[in-house]
Amino acid sequence: MEPVRVDFRDQIARNKRNSFFLMAIIFAVFVLFGYIISLAMGEGWFFIIMIIAIIFSIGYILVSYYNSDKIAVASVGAKKANRNEYKQYYSLVEGLTIASGMPMPKLYVMKSGQINAFASGRDPQHAVVCVTEGALEKLDKRELEGVLAHELGHVASYDMRYMTLVAVMVGMIAIISQIFLRSLWFRSGNDRDKMIFIIIGVVMAILAPIVVYIVQMAISRKREFTADASAVKFTRYPNGLINALKKIQKDVVEPEKRVSKAVAPLFFSNPLKGLSSTHPSIEKRISALERM
Amino acid sequence: MLWLWILIGMGIVVVFVFFIYYNRFAVLGNRIDNSLSQIHVQLKRRADLIPNLIETVKGFAKHEKAAIKAVTDARKALVGAKGVEEKVKADNQLESALKTIFAIAEGYPDLKANTNFLELQRELSSTEDRVAYARQFYNDSILSYNNLCITMPGAFFAKLYGKKERKYLQITEAEKKKVDVKF
Repeated sequence: MEPVRVDFRDQIARNKRNSFFLMAIIFAVFVLFGYIISLAMGEGWFFIIMIIAIIFSIGYILVSYYNSDKIAVASVGAKKANRNEYKQYYSLVEGLTIASGMPMPKLYVMKSGQINAFASGRDPQHAVVCVTEGALEKLDKRELEGVLAHELGHVASYDMRYMTLVAVMVGMIAIISQIFLRSLWFRSGNDRDKMIFIIIGVVMAILAPIVVYIVQMAISRKREFTADASAVKFTRYPNGLINALKKIQKDVVEPEKRVSKAVAPLFFSNPLKGLSSTHPSIEKRISALERM
Repeated sequence: MLWLWILIGMGIVVVFVFFIYYNRFAVLGNRIDNSLSQIHVQLKRRADLIPNLIETVKGFAKHEKAAIKAVTDARKALVGAKGVEEKVKADNQLESALKTIFAIAEGYPDLKANTNFLELQRELSSTEDRVAYARQFYNDSILSYNNLCITMPGAFFAKLYGKKERKYLQITEAEKKKVDVKF
């Protein structure tokens, strides 16, 4: 079948819709779960559990959100890129900021033979972009530009903010599950009519975190496609990005040990093996790009 | 009494919608103006690099007068050009003239190996990329403005506020190639 050509603008819009839809699913799980708990435990319990969950989750994530740029850079041991040493890196990003109308991000380099890059920061004003030494060595100018444009695409669509929001909700659901399961130990008396809701509640407490985790990963993959489409919007040259992806495919390097699971979704291509769910497969990304 | 409150609430919402659309036109309009000035900034930067390049080239290849003159003339045209369309056209001329200079440089090993020359060559090609990106962003900004102008409900407000669609920056292929340097 002849693949249909897709304008990158439509691609971006579609991905945004999909992400929104997935967010709605998480929210629906959240509400439904809360409702079941209120039926099973009585309303007093329900409020206590919800409030604790909300405070913990938001508190934890706000701290990491406001420091997202520093945390990401520090966790992989990246160093600030020197302008004289990395002239091409700087000039490519400067060009892309003109193409995208964004402020200049802070640029970092991390030691690694892998071809990779990531972006972080809560908004374009606090953005950081980091590439590996491997990427700077192995990619040519247009390929590197494609990779950097992809990272700026994440910054431009406020992906850090969005993924933070998702993480808050996923975290709340996980906390609620924990509290609910533990509180069952302290229940006194057994009213039979509530038993059914307690069973439903237990099933949900086990399943809900898994479901929202899967949805979270699906959102993360959608954002990768969106960032690829944004990269094309900035450079108007999908081949740069396609060639970079092909090079990554051929490049055989050890999975990065210093990259923790928490920062893996930020990267250009998956830095870890076996945790492929944060990124779509390279083949899929290439075929999406070839259709633009 | 309740009806009165509902009416007041609806009135506030309507006023807000008018504000929002007014602001969107203002913001998108500003973005167009800003991206236009970005094109000028990059073109000026490019023009500023030329005298330095000419000096370097003269030091190694004095005899290439025609090619050097073509670049100097193109630069003059760029500096003197009024309006963005004219400037971009002049920049395209400059780009062709520069290509000739760089082709000539291949025949002068000393010049080719000169670090100053290499640096300028790199700078000039990266500013050319930036000019292209600035133009692209300018046209993108116009696209979002025009989309707002012709889709509903934006079209209604466009009429109300007297906002019209803006023209894209168009440079035809023929204009890009209108340079010949004689040897």
